[in-house]
Amino acid sequence: MEPILTVNNVKLSLDEKPILKGVNLIINKGEIHAILGPNGAGKSTLANLIMGIGDLKSPTEGEIIFKDKILNGLEISERAKLGITLAWQEPARFEGITVEEYLKLAGRNNPDLDVEECLKFVGLDSSYLFRYVDDTLSGGERKRVELASILAMKPELAILDEPDSGIDFASMEDIARMLKTMKDRGTTILMITHREEIAEISDRASLMCDGRVIQTGNPKEVGEKFKNMCITCEVKNPQLVGGK
Amino acid sequence: MAIAKNLLNIAKKEFTKIGLPEELFTKNKFNLLVDRNKIVTKYPAPGVRSEVIETPTGVKTKVYIEPGTKLEEPVTLCFGAAGRTDLQTTESEIIVGEGADVKFQVYGAMAEGIKLKHTAKTKIVVEKNAKFVFIDVHYNGENTLVDLETETDAYVGENAYFKSVFKQIKGRAGKVRVNLKARVDRKGVVVFETKMIGKKDDEIKVEDIIYLDGEESRGISKSRIIAVDQAKAEFIGETYGNAPRCRGHIDCSEIIRGKDVVVKAVPVVVVRDETAKVTHEAAIGSIDKKQLETLMARGLTEDEAVDVIVQGMLR
Repeated sequence: MEPILTVNNVKLSLDEKPILKGVNLIINKGEIHAILGPNGAGKSTLANLIMGIGDLKSPTEGEIIFKDKILNGLEISERAKLGITLAWQEPARFEGITVEEYLKLAGRNNPDLDVEECLKFVGLDSSYLFRYVDDTLSGGERKRVELASILAMKPELAILDEPDSGIDFASMEDIARMLKTMKDRGTTILMITHREEIAEISDRASLMCDGRVIQTGNPKEVGEKFKNMCITCEVKNPQLVGGK
Repeated sequence: MAIAKNLLNIAKKEFTKIGLPEELFTKNKFNLLVDRNKIVTKYPAPGVRSEVIETPTGVKTKVYIEPGTKLEEPVTLCFGAAGRTDLQTTESEIIVGEGADVKFQVYGAMAEGIKLKHTAKTKIVVEKNAKFVFIDVHYNGENTLVDLETETDAYVGENAYFKSVFKQIKGRAGKVRVNLKARVDRKGVVVFETKMIGKKDDEIKVEDIIYLDGEESRGISKSRIIAVDQAKAEFIGETYGNAPRCRGHIDCSEIIRGKDVVVKAVPVVVVRDETAKVTHEAAIGSIDKKQLETLMARGLTEDEAVDVIVQGMLR
């Protein structure tokens, strides 16, 4: 398997507090890779660091490599131009921009762009094209539009932060179908989640705990480990096991 | 006739150069087109009676919309300056008859490179059960210097609706003072929207005043002002809840971009009835970081992303 993203012993401290404590991770081209872990494990921080969000342009130590390019220090748009994007857990809202315009912006370098089809894959009909990407959309609708924009952009690597949160998907099959569509169109997916049933949709999964990746492998096994160990974890939930 | 045609050609050339849609001219859309103090075109709209007089510095207009008139197409007007002049003044009086439902699309167009003072005074009466939408969009050149002073004084009758939108879309804003005032009668509704961008040393001052005098009247005052470079911008929104169960809201959002920008927002809320309710929200700040990062994560540069966000806000 050919690696598309390599996270090489990445450490990150914010205000002198260590958040990532030596993350090692390889994402293979064409896979759906879930990162599972409890709240505070560092999953979203890692996602933001890969995309270069806010002040997270470089780790304190280590390297993030996309194909052969070291991402450390690059701006968000430079990373996007390399073929990386991120869908936020809570997407932004835009006054005065229609769904159609938003999808066309996202897909402006995609010669096969079909905005109606993008909407269809996330369960929205074409009437949404004329809606504004603002507060008039519900949280779930906005989230679907965000995922449609990833389909429109057709990046090489999409980082999806909690893609299922806030969406009233009828079934797990809906999410699986959408992710599979992205994958079939050549997008590698790095999916952040804290739900093991979502992680099971992936080809491989990694478990993050306390700023480190502690296991990578079969999603079912990683999911089981998460379910059996993280919920009663002494580090995160000391009260459950009588710790201090 | 030949002179009017020549004036029309000049207006077309100069105004399309600063961004006015060409089809306004090719499809003969203007019900009234004024260049400085000359009437260039004037076509009647059904149910709309009007009288336009040229003055030494501009025009005086009286418009009466007959009761019950309902127009699907907007009445399209343009007050502009296609060439040099020091002063342009327009005075308008518009009466929208009972039960009428019309929209006015007004263009202000000041040709590239000219410098002038423009004053506009408009009196509007929207009679009982009528609906009137007044969209006033301004186009200036990037090197145009306009000192614009506009005053609108409206009365919104019982169960009537009046929406006024003031937008400055292209080019320099210059020195702008927009003053919008409305008195709203029982169950009447007024909506004021101002959307502007100030660049370089532009100065923008917007003042919206709404008197909710009638029982269950409603008023919304919304402004979106973007100030960049060394621009100065000030928004004052005053809403007076004077009657039982009236409702008002002031929503101003100002974006600053540039370290020498000065921006001020002053919402004033006065309530004189215990069942009235007037609320306000005011935000001044830089471009929303999450919006910016989202668009950059889709491959837009920071400048492109800012442009998309700003154009969206000004729409």
